[in-house]
Amino acid sequence: MEEGGVNVIDLTQGDESFVRELIALGADELRECIQCGKCAATCPMALAGLEFFIKRIVHAANLGLRDVLLEDSSVWGCQSCNRCVEICPMDIKPYEVIQAVRRAAMKVESCPANTYEGLRNLYRFGHAVFPKGFEERRKKVGLPEKPPTALSFDELRKKYQEVLKQTILEEIAPFPLD
Amino acid sequence: MKKIGFFLGCNIPFNRPDIEYSARYLLNELGVEVVELEGATCCPAFGTMPSLDLVGWAAASAWNLAIAEEKGVEVITGCGSCYGSLNEARYHMEKHPEIKEQVNIILAKVGKEYKGTTKVWNFINFLYEEVGLDTLKSKIKNNLNGLKCAVQTGCHNLWPSRAYPTNEDNTFFPKRLREICEAMGGVAPNYSTITDCCAMGALRSTASEKSLALFKKKLDVIKEEIDPDVAVTGCSSCLLQFDAGQALLVEQKKLNYKIPALHIAQLTAIAMGADVEKATAMASIPLNGVITKIKGGN
Repeated sequence: MEEGGVNVIDLTQGDESFVRELIALGADELRECIQCGKCAATCPMALAGLEFFIKRIVHAANLGLRDVLLEDSSVWGCQSCNRCVEICPMDIKPYEVIQAVRRAAMKVESCPANTYEGLRNLYRFGHAVFPKGFEERRKKVGLPEKPPTALSFDELRKKYQEVLKQTILEEIAPFPLD
Repeated sequence: MKKIGFFLGCNIPFNRPDIEYSARYLLNELGVEVVELEGATCCPAFGTMPSLDLVGWAAASAWNLAIAEEKGVEVITGCGSCYGSLNEARYHMEKHPEIKEQVNIILAKVGKEYKGTTKVWNFINFLYEEVGLDTLKSKIKNNLNGLKCAVQTGCHNLWPSRAYPTNEDNTFFPKRLREICEAMGGVAPNYSTITDCCAMGALRSTASEKSLALFKKKLDVIKEEIDPDVAVTGCSSCLLQFDAGQALLVEQKKLNYKIPALHIAQLTAIAMGADVEKATAMASIPLNGVITKIKGGN
């Protein structure tokens, strides 16, 4: 999109099979959107000034604009706050459209690098957020260095990894699941 | 409730263990036994499994919920994302039995089963509904002494309301956290951006500057409309933004005032007599004024 220019959507870029893919990935009410804009009025992405906020994402999804959606990082800025789901008068669950776009993007490795970092941490340690120096912070408040989560129990962590290996992560993780 | 499973998540045990200390302290003071959910993991966070696949998300959440079921306890978490992810996964499995079925095929391979019998609480609803404001009042050792609180319930503690077992009467006009602060002797006025997002989370990771600018807008409104002594959050991610995020804005010279911030578990623990050093050990914005006021000074 050009700064200050007129946005013209090239409908020839629309790919109906992408719409069907998104519907299959969880955006099951996508077609019901009437573009009323209520979601945009509450969307933190819109308020923060991201060019591609919820209403536009749903619009592009409905037109099957695969490249537009997969090349823009906006869907990864969604807070998953679900305000849009709460207020959508057509109950299309707009947030689930975001998730569907993310799922389609993951399949073609089109996601920010920190998404992989989170997944790698989740698999290796059982925790997507795994910052350095936590042992000291925990000691400072009188807690054991490690919390009693999968991090402290090797056998349970391995079992959790077995669970993840049976999911789609096995197919799309760009790191070894061993 | 005599016992409850404490779901830690990631940010609380690793970034803000002062919230973990506080939560354990307050549950103990309330006579609620904290049951450890050994082997629990990330909820999982919205940017991980939920962004890959619905069944994978549900399976990862069900692993955690099954641990609580095995122990026969309900679950409490201080993190909004954990509250959202676990409850939403639970909702999807309840609504779509075929997802639950697929999840149980996966879990069976590691000797586990998800039944769907547990319930996930956050601290706001637990204090408000399960404990009750009268009991809470009776446990207070340090009255908040008119401390003016700007409350931040947190997105995931409110929406999507259909996924939550209990909630505010009107999620766009939340009152529970305000009433909790007031029951402990504080003052918690409404303000016009009370339900606005703190902008932590995916927005902060994807567009840091825009996230902090949006957060600053909220802070400016809070400062102008109610000029509070402290911001009180219902979510650990909101606390990270209100504390470390705000400190960053000050450091970048984009903010010329400071509003100290506490998670509701911290504020409640302090009101119940917790060790203040431990309960606020990771705070970036000094809380001296807040503590002095609670202890009876001005």
